[in-house]
Amino acid sequence: MAQRAVWLISHEPGTPLCGTVRFSRRYPTVEKRAKVFNGASYVPVPEDGPFLKALLFELRLSDDDKDFSESRDSCSHINKTSIYALLIGGEELWPVIAFMKNGMIYACVPLVEQTLFPRPPLISISGISQGFELLFGVQGFLYSGQKNDSELNTKLSQLPDLLLQTCPFGTLLDANLENSLDSINFASVTHPQKQPTWKAGTYKGKPQVSISITEKVKSMQYDKQDIADTWQVIGVVTCKCDLEGSMPNVTISLSLPTNGSPLQDILVHPCVTSLDSAILTSSSIDAADDSAFSGPYKFPLTPPLESFNLCYYTSQVPVPPILGFYQVKEEEVQLKITVNLKLHESVKNSFEFCEARIPFYNRGPVTHVEHKVSFGQLEVFREKSLLIWIIGQKFPKSLEISLSGTVTFGAKSHEKQPFDQICIGGTAYLKLHFRILDYTLTGCYADQHSVQVFASGKPKISTYRKLISSDYYIWNSKAPAPVTYGSLLL
Amino acid sequence: MSSRHAAPRQGLACLTMGPTSRETWAQRLGTFRASPSAFMAGPEGEDLGRHLLSDLRSEKLSEPTKISLLALSLEYPAQLWPDAPAAEAAATSLLDTLVLLPPRPSALRRPLLLAATTALAAGGALGPTSGASRRLLPLLLGLASGRDLGRSFGPASEQRTLQATAWECLRELESCKPGLLGGCLGLLRGLLGQEGAVQPLSLLLALALRNALVIQARARAGLQGLLVAGDWPTEGGPWNWMLAEEGDAHLQPQAPSWPAAEEGECRLATLELSPEEARELRAAVAQLLDASYLLTPVAQAQLLWLLGWALRGLRGQPPVLFKPQLVRLLGTAQLTLLHAVLALKAAFGEALFTAQDEALLLRRLTLAAQHPALPLPARLFYLHCLLNFPENWPLGPAGEEAAPLLLGSQLCRGLLPSLLHDPTALLARLHLLCLLCVEDEEKEEKGQDQSPRRYLEELLAGLRQRAALDGGPRALATLCFQASYLVARCLAGQPVVLTPLTHGLAQLYRAQPALAPHFVDLLDRVGPELGEPLKVVLRQEVVSRPGRDEALRWHLQMLARVADGDAQSATLGFLQAAAARCTDWGLQQALLQVCRALLRAGVGGGLADLLQALARQLEDPDGRDHARLYYILLAHLEEPKLGVALGPSLAAPALASSLVAENQGFAAALMVQEAPAPIRLSVGPHRAKGPVPVLQLQVEVLEQVYSLELRFRVERQIYAPLGAVHVPCLCPGRPTRPLLLPLQPRRPAPSRLAVRALYTTPSGLTCHARLPPLLVNFADLFLPFPQPPEGAELGFFEELWDSCLPKGTESRLWCPLGPHGLEALVSRHLEPFVVVAQPPTSYLIAIRLPPDSRLLLRLEAAQADGVPVALRTDDWAVLPLVGDCLRGLSVAG
Repeated sequence: MAQRAVWLISHEPGTPLCGTVRFSRRYPTVEKRAKVFNGASYVPVPEDGPFLKALLFELRLSDDDKDFSESRDSCSHINKTSIYALLIGGEELWPVIAFMKNGMIYACVPLVEQTLFPRPPLISISGISQGFELLFGVQGFLYSGQKNDSELNTKLSQLPDLLLQTCPFGTLLDANLENSLDSINFASVTHPQKQPTWKAGTYKGKPQVSISITEKVKSMQYDKQDIADTWQVIGVVTCKCDLEGSMPNVTISLSLPTNGSPLQDILVHPCVTSLDSAILTSSSIDAADDSAFSGPYKFPLTPPLESFNLCYYTSQVPVPPILGFYQVKEEEVQLKITVNLKLHESVKNSFEFCEARIPFYNRGPVTHVEHKVSFGQLEVFREKSLLIWIIGQKFPKSLEISLSGTVTFGAKSHEKQPFDQICIGGTAYLKLHFRILDYTLTGCYADQHSVQVFASGKPKISTYRKLISSDYYIWNSKAPAPVTYGSLLL
Repeated sequence: MSSRHAAPRQGLACLTMGPTSRETWAQRLGTFRASPSAFMAGPEGEDLGRHLLSDLRSEKLSEPTKISLLALSLEYPAQLWPDAPAAEAAATSLLDTLVLLPPRPSALRRPLLLAATTALAAGGALGPTSGASRRLLPLLLGLASGRDLGRSFGPASEQRTLQATAWECLRELESCKPGLLGGCLGLLRGLLGQEGAVQPLSLLLALALRNALVIQARARAGLQGLLVAGDWPTEGGPWNWMLAEEGDAHLQPQAPSWPAAEEGECRLATLELSPEEARELRAAVAQLLDASYLLTPVAQAQLLWLLGWALRGLRGQPPVLFKPQLVRLLGTAQLTLLHAVLALKAAFGEALFTAQDEALLLRRLTLAAQHPALPLPARLFYLHCLLNFPENWPLGPAGEEAAPLLLGSQLCRGLLPSLLHDPTALLARLHLLCLLCVEDEEKEEKGQDQSPRRYLEELLAGLRQRAALDGGPRALATLCFQASYLVARCLAGQPVVLTPLTHGLAQLYRAQPALAPHFVDLLDRVGPELGEPLKVVLRQEVVSRPGRDEALRWHLQMLARVADGDAQSATLGFLQAAAARCTDWGLQQALLQVCRALLRAGVGGGLADLLQALARQLEDPDGRDHARLYYILLAHLEEPKLGVALGPSLAAPALASSLVAENQGFAAALMVQEAPAPIRLSVGPHRAKGPVPVLQLQVEVLEQVYSLELRFRVERQIYAPLGAVHVPCLCPGRPTRPLLLPLQPRRPAPSRLAVRALYTTPSGLTCHARLPPLLVNFADLFLPFPQPPEGAELGFFEELWDSCLPKGTESRLWCPLGPHGLEALVSRHLEPFVVVAQPPTSYLIAIRLPPDSRLLLRLEAAQADGVPVALRTDDWAVLPLVGDCLRGLSVAG
């Protein structure tokens, strides 16, 4: 269950090493056990320098990927997880968990409590999920509220102390590092009986509960006979419960209006104490039918002090909020483009913002644009080969808008123009970005009656909702487009 | 400070004059961390540990500096204090520093406790003879249990914060020395009911409980009241090391490996618990599980792994205790919790998960593997879990990834790959798609257009299109070839998939010859199902399209891999045309590589002409020499010899001189080659005679070998090193005599022998091969005692029987009998060791166990289905082995 070592490495392309070890921590008592358990197959944890080099090479983040290298590029060298074997000094260090997020590489080496030869399946190694959880925890800590480099540096400098609290001997005690930061501050509070470990202290003050539902909608639209358009809603419900008492019991319910779309694939926070089997089994894997459970979705729980994600869900709404088509015709150095967008009548026509980004890849710079829009305005970013159609806060009464125009390109000069591995030939897309406040696509809501608190005092309840777009693509219907298996099942 | 370090350098001068300043330490720690090995090899390395300890007591250094020193000692104790005596001294010094701290609050106490624990555990000093251990353990237990240790140990409020730390220290010590806290189980249980930190106590109790169960199972003992409260150990007082000493030789995995992976490792089933003990154990586990909700998710997961391991296979401990937790756990998004549920699934199977439960778990896992709200690394791990799902009734071979039976294509729909995925996700999902295609073929076409196979084809085409992009990153090409390899491996038997794949790859080569190294790599790794047709189309592709000049280099590299005896004239024609354009050294070498490949393939006539022409026409003298050499070889050597001369491929074609490289080729023929095993070895029937046990090895010959030398290595050095065995010649089909291998056990225990073979092939190459390890069973070590004089047998046996105690032990067990009864069992397996026989119901058996142990068995009053066995031995350690051995014999019949 334990980790032998942890690293944080910033990826710095263009520098001689392409990266710097920003933090590392070794656990010698775990290393000692690794030596016994792994026996003849034991490979020691390397020093930072060689580890950095081997990891960047394996992750293809060092600059020397020009030539074919068998140890990295061989067709049989297949990684299907974020767990790698690193070749260091002729020996193979395995398993190394590593992933990159926002330019930072998170890595650790879990202890395997048996011989490494033959390699046991990852599922049998408890340290794997513990290692992931540790790295996710560190990532969550570094990026919570952090805006710039100096804040990142401050957080990095707090890490040694925090890990001394949450992972003193390599076995993780709490993946929520913020929690430990609190418990350092709460140190003088005595623990009454049955105080959960994940709750560092107790709240004193006015009782209040806030629930915020954020839905993201993604879509792939093709406007083709043989390929179905797809769309999906992904929701997350975030709560903050400021309630007195060491373990207040709370039940939060989410409701749907009569024509709402059922929530599926619900994953809950571990503080939820029990789950209705209808919630557990409602899943997008099944073919949709009318008998689907449509709530109310009740979550009995004991809330932690901090803000937490009560649940995640997905949903299949009957229509996409904005339906569109995009057609691109190539005429010598010019592209003729036509875009049509229609807001569905059931969707709230009041955006915080709404725009369509139309990029052009693997071509020269935009030299000339002629266009006509029925609504909004078009901005041209020549160097980036990008058009942005700013639609604004509202669709017009007809709910339908269009754009047509011709775009002329200059000669293609390598390096500078944006490269894309998908948009080859006529393959092209536009991407919609929008946000609607106080609205969810599923209809899912929480209100004053959604919260039951079994503790003294009636809490003030505030609720928030918003819908945002995410990966909302409309593909050129005149050329091939990447499809998912789901879109082929007509 | 030693005299060789007396050079007047600034840092060193500081060392000699007393405590080092904050800046110097900061700089020194920085240098150390950059490369510990370089620092330790330098002048300051030797004394670093000593200075660190002494400066911790310096009054001039601030607390933060001291904390940074302690942080270093937490990470690098092995460098600072490399052996057990040094670690013991360091721990003592750290404890002294702790005691000497003034009674005001201090941030040093916690890291000092951690550092002393780390030094002892990592330095291997923890044990009954270590003074530091005898001080640290009661101190930790006192702090942990919240006893007031007096003002000298900081204010009461600080002692409370040290409580959790003390628990963690104890848990780490128990992890490194299983059984250490076995004597405190009762106390820990008592504390769990009281107020205080639930999490560290729960985890420690679960770990200590699990360790105690395993150790007692190994010793064939019960829990012996361990779960009932006892006395607190006091500082300086005796600590109960009994369990730890027994557990010492077997460091216990904290988490169970998958059941299949550690067959026979932990036989908890042998643990005999009294009803009273079983009840206590159940109560303890239930108590832990009930409070588990108060633990952080990662700690809950640890607890479940530990308890799952503790109860697995334990008689009378039904896993239903876990059931109330499962629904709550299945609903969460936590990776560790779902993983722990899978561990329980693997441990208990149908006993905990009905078929419906299994289906639900599989669905939750499937939706987690595709849930867009979870981070990608977690989703990929879930997908791995899905393909390694511990099914109640698995159908396929163990250890191979497969889609679980209940996971139909409907369930997988959201898990299939698309070009938009990142490479790792794409490959993982592609594997699943391939597995579905296998099933799809089994079900056979239903005329549906959009079969998974069709989708697979389109996906591969998309990958090839991306790989063909001019100036695209190499990762795109690599991904395309990895996908092709995966498909070829999973769907080797499906020409409907491989044929379009072959043609697609040929097209890709036409579009982008610079991918030649990837093609060569692919051909080297795939099986003949794809390899052979691909070779043919690629050769056609090369020889029929001479291509532009920049592609010539790649064409030649490609041809060196795919050229063989077929399509000779086209190949030679291409080479003749190419020769004129091979103006630089690199191209000429590439051209000669192709000639060499043809030479090896036995291409004759036309090649001779080409080589002669090259020997005249090439600009580079090295190239000309080479062409001439090949021509001479072709003209003078017969085909098989030619093969040997050119045998092992060139190690590094980029070497400065190709003649050097060629020499390497010849040299390689003279060196030892790694090869597959030419023979198969197995252990034959046991010969119970002579002064030492002797293994009879049966040999099955697969290939003809000469001057065979077999080398053996004993695992864990349980026996003295074994001499090599030599055999002059072995031929397949000819009978061979068994090889005799005498063993000299250092203790009577089974082991494994690693076997390596060194031999010469008929073509004269020297080869080296690793053979599968040989298992030496416990019974293979049995030897009889010298035959006593007639009539004195019974007295002889009784004398041996009595001599076992008090040093040794006595035990009784029930040995089930097969249909042929006791007589058959004895005559088949124990005949040589019988001292007194009264067939068919009673036998007295005396076995000598080298080096100097004995095992005595009384098999008396056999019944139809079994026989009670009384056994004595003068060696405790063999007891568990005897039980297994007897059961094994009775199963074998």
